[in-house]
Amino acid sequence: VTYKWLSYTLGVHVNLAKQMLYDYVERRRRESSGAQLHVTYLVAGNLLQNGHVCHKVAVVREDKLEAMKSKLSTIASVHVYSIQKALLKDSSPLYNTDYDIVKTNLQHCSKFSAIRCAAAVPRTPPDAPRAPAQSPQGHRDPDPDGAVNGHGPRAARAPPQQHRGIMGMFAAKAAARAQDTPKEAKAEAKEAPGVSAASSKPPTKNSIMNNFFGKAAMNKLKANSVPEQPKEEKEAVKPSVAVAEPESSPNTAAEKPGKKTESASIQQKDEKSKAKRADRSDDEEEEDPENVKKKRKRIKQLQSDSSDEEDVPPSPRPEEERAPSPPPAPALKTELEPASTEVPAGGRKRKRKRVLKSKMFIDEEEGCMGKTG
Amino acid sequence: MFSEQAAPTAQGLLAPPSAEPPTFPRVAVSGYSDCSQPFQLGERSFSRQYAHIYAVRLAGMRPGLEQRARSRWGNDIALRRLSELQEGEKCCVVGTLFKSMQLQPSILQEISEEHNLVPQPPLPKYIQPSDELILEDELQRIKLEGAIDVQRLVTGTIVAVYGCEQEDGRFLVEDHCFANLPPPLPWNGPSSDRFVLLASGLGLGSVSGEALLSTQLLVDVVTGQLGAEGEQSCAAHITRVILAGNLLSQNTQSRDTINKAKYLTKKTQAASVEAVKMLDEILLQLCTSVPVDVMPGEFDPTNYTLPQQPLHRCMLPLASAYATLRLVTNPYQANLDGVRFLGTSGQNISDIFKYSSMDDYLEILEWTLLAGHISPTAPDTLGCYPFYKSDPFILTECPHVYFCGNAPHFQCKLLQGKEGQRVLLVTVPDFSATQTACLINLRDLSCQPITFSSFGADSED
Repeated sequence: VTYKWLSYTLGVHVNLAKQMLYDYVERRRRESSGAQLHVTYLVAGNLLQNGHVCHKVAVVREDKLEAMKSKLSTIASVHVYSIQKALLKDSSPLYNTDYDIVKTNLQHCSKFSAIRCAAAVPRTPPDAPRAPAQSPQGHRDPDPDGAVNGHGPRAARAPPQQHRGIMGMFAAKAAARAQDTPKEAKAEAKEAPGVSAASSKPPTKNSIMNNFFGKAAMNKLKANSVPEQPKEEKEAVKPSVAVAEPESSPNTAAEKPGKKTESASIQQKDEKSKAKRADRSDDEEEEDPENVKKKRKRIKQLQSDSSDEEDVPPSPRPEEERAPSPPPAPALKTELEPASTEVPAGGRKRKRKRVLKSKMFIDEEEGCMGKTG
Repeated sequence: MFSEQAAPTAQGLLAPPSAEPPTFPRVAVSGYSDCSQPFQLGERSFSRQYAHIYAVRLAGMRPGLEQRARSRWGNDIALRRLSELQEGEKCCVVGTLFKSMQLQPSILQEISEEHNLVPQPPLPKYIQPSDELILEDELQRIKLEGAIDVQRLVTGTIVAVYGCEQEDGRFLVEDHCFANLPPPLPWNGPSSDRFVLLASGLGLGSVSGEALLSTQLLVDVVTGQLGAEGEQSCAAHITRVILAGNLLSQNTQSRDTINKAKYLTKKTQAASVEAVKMLDEILLQLCTSVPVDVMPGEFDPTNYTLPQQPLHRCMLPLASAYATLRLVTNPYQANLDGVRFLGTSGQNISDIFKYSSMDDYLEILEWTLLAGHISPTAPDTLGCYPFYKSDPFILTECPHVYFCGNAPHFQCKLLQGKEGQRVLLVTVPDFSATQTACLINLRDLSCQPITFSSFGADSED
């Protein structure tokens, strides 16, 4: 029986447990009833060793207690460590008892300790809204709470990726983006003159889309919109090409206006939120390519089984576009302004490119009526 | 020192249960900022050659060395590059040292077939009387002889030598100097007693379990479960725990799984898995009570080259839930309550130990501070990332506490510099061997070892 074991079993403060043990020993010894009790003590104090004043903490048997006390120049503390019926050969049973009891109570191992630490709070679970949590991340506060926040969202993002897989990450990101959606949709509604036809629609469209398709589709939309971002960077690099697009935009706009703008709005909102996040802290850059990469893999699976695609880019294309694309973060910052006009155009260009490619398939596979993707 | 206030109430707990025992709040961390950004590698590309590190190192340290040379040997000495040397002219040259050692393990020798050599077994020291020192700068190299201690110096140090070139092409050295202590940092230390516990070499996962109880005692003291009230209140002043490497023991590094056939080892787990689980539990106990910084070491599951990156938090699921756990890089630099800490897990010091005649870890630690570089042997005999823009191991500011982990014994020294620098040099001993950790008092930069012991089958004390 060690003091720690007693403290956890009875739910008392450790010092109280030590005192209880002492009391019990005294009483049993006074009664002097048959069974011999062996007690171990903990002694701590200063000791001169090798020229240093060394602080020594030792667990000693009762018979060695006085010897140890005399060795120490100043004694800092003495208390009962454990009581047992048999004479212990070595301290491993003590360790084992403590180890077992701590293992069973791992979550509140400091509940009965004499020291309370205000900073030791478990991090917020990953489902907590990350948008407000991310705001203090840019500056490092010396305050431990600031450090908590700075570390918290990162950690909050890391466990879902590792523990809960990619769906969890999508859920969390979707939750974050859902908050960004209303304000950003309104913002870009003003900024996107090219999409005037549906500029008033994005806010309502987004909410309708959200409700209509539900979470799974929302994830798909997010997933689809994210890989389109690297392509948008490519588009930003070639503005001349994009300029040529607006002529064709009315044509395709007529075909699928709602979904186009909706995807455009999602793309823009995504890149804005991504740019915001990238602006906040540089060390998230490492995670962004990882996130995007993970989403890319996921998208391939999603695309293979989804039937109601709006303007999902085909799976072979993400790879080729991704290979030359620079990391998302720096490019995003540069192309935030011209994005509004290029985004719908770029999207339409992709749409056309896709059609072209499928035609190529048919031409090449002359005679085979293979699936074009 | 640590628990002198505890002495009066030492025997307090040898009494029947009294009133509700007090709990002490942990002293809050007021100023912590992590300064080890230079050691964090972002995108890593190993396609570059290592020559760039030396070039950058020389370029970075040359101005400081030239200034020091001028102040030492006079303002009017000639500073020359090796290509501009003239015979017989006394001048000063700044360059990188290279020590050619016969016993140095060379991969080329190992794989060379014409020698038919068995790979050299690892020796404690590779120095030999026949070693030679060569000074290199950007373009040329020259052999050094004279008033320079060949045995003591190691490859990669930037040094300024004063002497003249002789007829046979060697450089006769009359005097040499190093970069010396970097400029001091302002002192903003705390006014009350604040302690930081430094421990290294926990060595979990080893076959023997003697150190386990001592580790548990360490955790108990820090979390305040052990000791009488006075000691517990003193333990509440411990503001941080820094674990400087080698959390897992060398036994977890066994490579049997590579040699054995796959079907024999399919079901067996790597030894490090079990050890990391144990580490997680210990860290959880610590994290619930005190901020902990965990540095990786030689045997820990992270990259081999310096600077070692932090352990990944997915390995420590239980402890990572707490914000008090910080996983940091191997050379670690941080400001704690206004005191600048800089330290490594000991790989740099033990590497210099192997290639130099210096025997004392504290002496080597002091020498690296005077040489202005944390790990001069870095690309040569110690693995290092191929930096090309800047060398993050160059000491630009003088830390207040400079430590190295996994030393054979505990040593500490307070070094005073000419420009008012005060540095506490600490060699943190290997806990699994010595059961000793260090407590540093931030108020007056003093250090005290703390030893834990239990009784064994042969209890003598």
